Amino acid sequence: MFSPGTIYSNITPLVKSPVIGYRISGPDVLDILKKLTKRNFSREHSVIKVVKLYNYVGEILDKCSVVYFKSPKSFTGEDVCEIFLHGSPLIASQLEQTLKNFKIPGLRLAKNGEFSFRSVLNSKNSLKQVKAINAIISNESFSSLEYNKKLLFGGDVLSGLAPLREDIINLFSEITASIDFVDDEDFNFKQIKEKILAFYLKCNNILLNNKSKVNQKNICKVMLIGPVNVGKSTLFNKLIDKDRAIVTDIKGTTRDILSNKFIFDGKKFEIFDTAGQRSKQGKIEKYGYKKAQSISKDMDHFFVLADKNTKKSDIKQLFDDFPVGNNHTFILTKSDQYQYKSKNIKISQNHDRDLIMKKIKVSQIHKKYVSYKNQKIDFNLEEIDFLERILEYKHDIVKETDILIIAQLMRNILDDFSFEFGYINNEDVYDRVFSNFCIGK
Amino acid sequence: MEHYDILVIGAGHAGIEAANISEKYGLKTALITKNYSDLGKLSCNPSIGGVGKTHIASEVDILGGVICKIGDKSAIHYRVLNLSKGPAVWGVRAQIDRDLYSKNMQKYVKSSKIDLIEDEVINIIEKNNKVIGVECANTGKIKSKAVILTTGTFLNGKIYFGKETKEAGRIGNSSSKELAKFINKNFKTMRLKTGTPPRIYTKSINYDILEPQPSENNGIFLSYFTKQNTNKNINCFITKTNNKTHKIIRDNLDKSAMYSAIIKSQGVRYCPSIEDKITKFGDRNGHNIFLEPEGLNSELVYPNGISNSLDKKIQLKFLRSIKGLEKCEVDQFGYAVEYDSVDPRELKNNFETKKIENFFLAGQINGTTGYEEAAGQGIYAAINAAKRIKKIKFNNKVFERDNSYIGVLVDDLTKLGITEPYRMFTSRAENRLKLRTDNSYERFTDIINPITFNKNDYTLISKNIKNEKKIIDKLKLLKFTPNSLMKKNVKVKKDGKVRNGFEVLKFLDPTPPIFKDFFNMNISQKLLTKIFFDSKYEVFYEREKKSYDQLNKNKNMKLTNIDFSQIPSLSKEILEKLNKYKPENLNDAGKISGITPSALFQIVKHKKVKGTKIA
Repeated sequence: MFSPGTIYSNITPLVKSPVIGYRISGPDVLDILKKLTKRNFSREHSVIKVVKLYNYVGEILDKCSVVYFKSPKSFTGEDVCEIFLHGSPLIASQLEQTLKNFKIPGLRLAKNGEFSFRSVLNSKNSLKQVKAINAIISNESFSSLEYNKKLLFGGDVLSGLAPLREDIINLFSEITASIDFVDDEDFNFKQIKEKILAFYLKCNNILLNNKSKVNQKNICKVMLIGPVNVGKSTLFNKLIDKDRAIVTDIKGTTRDILSNKFIFDGKKFEIFDTAGQRSKQGKIEKYGYKKAQSISKDMDHFFVLADKNTKKSDIKQLFDDFPVGNNHTFILTKSDQYQYKSKNIKISQNHDRDLIMKKIKVSQIHKKYVSYKNQKIDFNLEEIDFLERILEYKHDIVKETDILIIAQLMRNILDDFSFEFGYINNEDVYDRVFSNFCIGK
Repeated sequence: MEHYDILVIGAGHAGIEAANISEKYGLKTALITKNYSDLGKLSCNPSIGGVGKTHIASEVDILGGVICKIGDKSAIHYRVLNLSKGPAVWGVRAQIDRDLYSKNMQKYVKSSKIDLIEDEVINIIEKNNKVIGVECANTGKIKSKAVILTTGTFLNGKIYFGKETKEAGRIGNSSSKELAKFINKNFKTMRLKTGTPPRIYTKSINYDILEPQPSENNGIFLSYFTKQNTNKNINCFITKTNNKTHKIIRDNLDKSAMYSAIIKSQGVRYCPSIEDKITKFGDRNGHNIFLEPEGLNSELVYPNGISNSLDKKIQLKFLRSIKGLEKCEVDQFGYAVEYDSVDPRELKNNFETKKIENFFLAGQINGTTGYEEAAGQGIYAAINAAKRIKKIKFNNKVFERDNSYIGVLVDDLTKLGITEPYRMFTSRAENRLKLRTDNSYERFTDIINPITFNKNDYTLISKNIKNEKKIIDKLKLLKFTPNSLMKKNVKVKKDGKVRNGFEVLKFLDPTPPIFKDFFNMNISQKLLTKIFFDSKYEVFYEREKKSYDQLNKNKNMKLTNIDFSQIPSLSKEILEKLNKYKPENLNDAGKISGITPSALFQIVKHKKVKGTKIA
């Protein structure tokens, strides 16, 4: 499970970019920094230093920013340094080679999630908080982003499961009391059953209310359609802004459909470029066009492109072939070449990206399909999974008439909560029993 | 000088069970009591059993103990609690005639080979941390290979009526100072508190206007071996406190030892005084009082539910505000007792003290409450002492917490210690469905011994076990398809699974005629109920075992040499808890309330990397 030693890993993708970051965590960090920079960092906690890095034979590797965090005031709770190299994968590989050549016992590449794991080990973060970090990075949705931030900065008590935990302890306490202290108070099996049902109803409602919110859609899918040579690819390239836009996972699917995600004004889009439509299609184009049709049902919106040469029948064909409906923007291209009288949106390849974005109203389109207002949610995906696990006991508990078996199943649920929030032992249960019921003679 | 194998000090429930089993194992045994008349005295309420309590008592019974048998012989009223629930939590409770119980017990002990010594033990004699005997006030020194101390609440006892205090154990006993010094010197002790209600003259109670609670005669007794009632059964009665009572108590809380802050020690949450009840649950219409007769010929009644430490005058005043008690007269007023108990973590899991070899502690001195809990400890300590001295053999597993309530008690006491007097609840056991009173003979097969029973009892138990096995074997040979069951109107899943008779049993109504009709075998209702629930709970035994194993998988990771304060990443709260409970292994650490999985990770990490360089 846990193996000690100093670990390192890149913390940005290893691709050509302005900066590539590395994190090193463990007892040998100061030693490594001394070897790399020929400087002593022990008094440089949390200060960014621009220094030269040397490889193991003393040649300069890079000149870059380095920051050192002294244990325990670091993410992992151990000594940590972060190095921001010039963004060349080549330099990155040289750094890794240098680290290897230092031959420090135990120094190794970190496993997936190992920094987070150490931060939990060292009480820097609770299990829940680390999961929250993960959720924040993977950016489930705007609402869960807020919720996960709350968990991360406020702690486990803010979890939406916390009140349910209270409910289940109280319920279990009542069941316990009704068995062990049967003649001290009037306990009623029917009432207990009703309370169990009410608890499950609550779980169910919470689940229904939050599931959709947690899984809330945060991306708007747009497809470009139009006749051949109308300028779809030009617009596609403008939108994704290959040089500057924050572009993630380039998915070149077939040569006919390109899709790409981009973020504009904090809003996520996925844009699909399709094979052009023409009256006489070749085999390959036909295949591409069919494929575009088949994925078109998942689209939120269509940009229907046309120019001076587009015939009305072409447009009609497109509207027949794709589920465009009202969810479309009609765009006339090549406005630098042609004069249009129509009031439709007109764009040209000479327009800069921002102007095009404004003209085709991407922000408004996003707003139409994605609710990115912060809906208040009380759970993240992990917790929703947990809730679903608890609901799995429902059938067994509700149909059961033997309170001892119900108690056993409830104990299992309590143990599940124990794992999330810390062990709930008999004493905790008795505390509730004796404060909620007048027990004893 | 006499030389004993086992010497038991104190002749309460723990002491008697210890001496009895020791004698049955053929060891030379002495039982020392300060007063012969104290032998087998029911010092508090006149009843034995109840949910959780019966569970321990029945284990003592099957191990060869006496509490259930003498209890049944002296019983004057029976009730079975939880009868509407499964038999795993049935709790038979018997009202006991105090005089009869003492008499029967004295007669029994006298008829045994136990040497009864009436004297006061003033010191324990040890040599090189090993006990070698005791010193008595009159008899002088007595040698013994093992000593079991079962002296209840004698340590620094103090009693309180309102603001009046008196040094003593129970009323009429003087505290044994010398022995107390020895204990205080050698062991860590803790201050506990308990209370008792006033005793009322039965002739001063107006029963005509009260609700009677008749004895239930359903053939369920304390002991496995009892077949019928010995005594005439009489009624208990119920009455209630009222608003007037509550007002009297509320207005005089400053005259209560507990509420005027004279007593500071930890009270018992499940045995609250009437002051507690009024303060915490005063909005209720009234709190029940069970008027329990102290015996067939006794002139006293034990009003269960109103233990208190109020001033005597106030006690009388509030009693007379209660229906039926308007003209009551009191023999002895209620009082609170403060006493020291030994921290049970001073004991090994065989109840021998960690400090002094062959010196065992059992009963209330270990911080428990209740006759049954004491009896369980007495028999357990003596079995372990006998194991030490005579090398009797038994499988330790029978006293693990997954197999017996005695095991649960031992584990809880020696591992987690106590913060208040410890009483058994069925919910303390993870394997509650399996730890039933109707199957204790099965759970203790590995230790059941012909020498611990009289001949009749042993014949009965062997015959029953044989008979049960025969029926189960036959049942398991019978095969039923879902179709054949449907034809007999038994609803099962149409899963094509062929079930044997034992598996089918849980789908039937557990009555002997139906059983006979279905399987063509005669069976007693008692046995049928037992095997019906075995059939029904079988799948849950597995589940319980799983969670028990889960709980115990880190048992081997010892934590005894760890200084938790050396783990810098542990939070202050967690550190306090670990230092308080000093868990022996990782498994026990995990059972402490509020200990999080990440705290456990940190302990594991600390243990694994101790000595290696790590920040």
